Amino acid sequence: MKFELNNRDPIYLQVVMYFKQQIALGEISAGMEIPSRRELATMLNINPNTVQKAYKEMEDQKLIVTERNFPSKVTTNEEVLQKIRKDLIEEATVQYVETMKRIAISFDEVMDEVKKAYEKKGGKHD
Amino acid sequence: MIDVKGISKKYLFKKVLKDVSFTVKKGEITCLIGVNGTGKSTTLKTITNLTPFNNGDILIDGISIKKKRSDNISFVPDHMTMPANMKIRQAFQFMKDFYPRWNEERAAELVDYMNIDVNQKIGALSKGNAAKVSLILGLSLNTDYVLLDEPFSGIDLFAKEKIRNLFSSHFIEGRGILLTTHEIEEVEHLLDRVVILNDGVIVKDFYTEQMRMEEGKSVIDQLREVYQG
Repeated sequence: MKFELNNRDPIYLQVVMYFKQQIALGEISAGMEIPSRRELATMLNINPNTVQKAYKEMEDQKLIVTERNFPSKVTTNEEVLQKIRKDLIEEATVQYVETMKRIAISFDEVMDEVKKAYEKKGGKHD
Repeated sequence: MIDVKGISKKYLFKKVLKDVSFTVKKGEITCLIGVNGTGKSTTLKTITNLTPFNNGDILIDGISIKKKRSDNISFVPDHMTMPANMKIRQAFQFMKDFYPRWNEERAAELVDYMNIDVNQKIGALSKGNAAKVSLILGLSLNTDYVLLDEPFSGIDLFAKEKIRNLFSSHFIEGRGILLTTHEIEEVEHLLDRVVILNDGVIVKDFYTEQMRMEEGKSVIDQLREVYQG
């Protein structure tokens, strides 16, 4: 997944979301060290204070753990990791359902569409 | 903190700055934006004492620049100020001789970072390399504040990239940065704070992340509102 910033949402929230997605996808695994604040700022071409804010937010949400003078690491707390996955699924689903409701598609129709889309991708849906 | 307090400036019969107030804080990158001829460079020059102003005051860490010229600010102009026949290392020697705040180690580190050959003559430098050398000269002074006038103007893609990376480097860390640019897309994500100047007047002044959070707009949206109504 490529990280592309949009210009209208707070950047620190976009960074937090990116980490959540990467964790849910297994691209970043539990206990893994993450880049220092300045490294990430340079990688993404963003302000170091913004990265600082994103890391603070992730610490508050217990996504990452920082011990004094050590690089921050992704949490190994299974509960938190499961919650990230759950939150992402829920968020995407709510968004999808909202769009479907806006164009007045019934629940059965939506389910049919979801099934079709799954089959197209070669996935199972039982 | 640099505290610009209600400064005005007349040039001949024209008011080029009208009651301009804003601050630049340590550890923050502040960008003064506006189309050409709105007073950006003039504002930088008043702060560095290169041009006088008529009303108001400018305080550097609480002390008026009218009382005491501050050497705690470095200014990186948009053009090379060293003579063309000088070699880069001679320019460094010049800085060392005349500026007590010159930091030789930092200069050497920046030369490395920018990948510059110090035996080149100033006059032989490409635009991009001249911009890099100007930055090395300014950032190698031990100052809390650095003012940069159009650091991205007229240089190639890779020089831009290198200079952009400077803003997240330790060379900038903890310092108060004030830059001007009309190429906002180069720096949109790097800024803490934006001050928009139009026709000598400050029309907007905001922290970028807070503005995105509260208004859901981009910096360019804000600029568009000013210039296109």
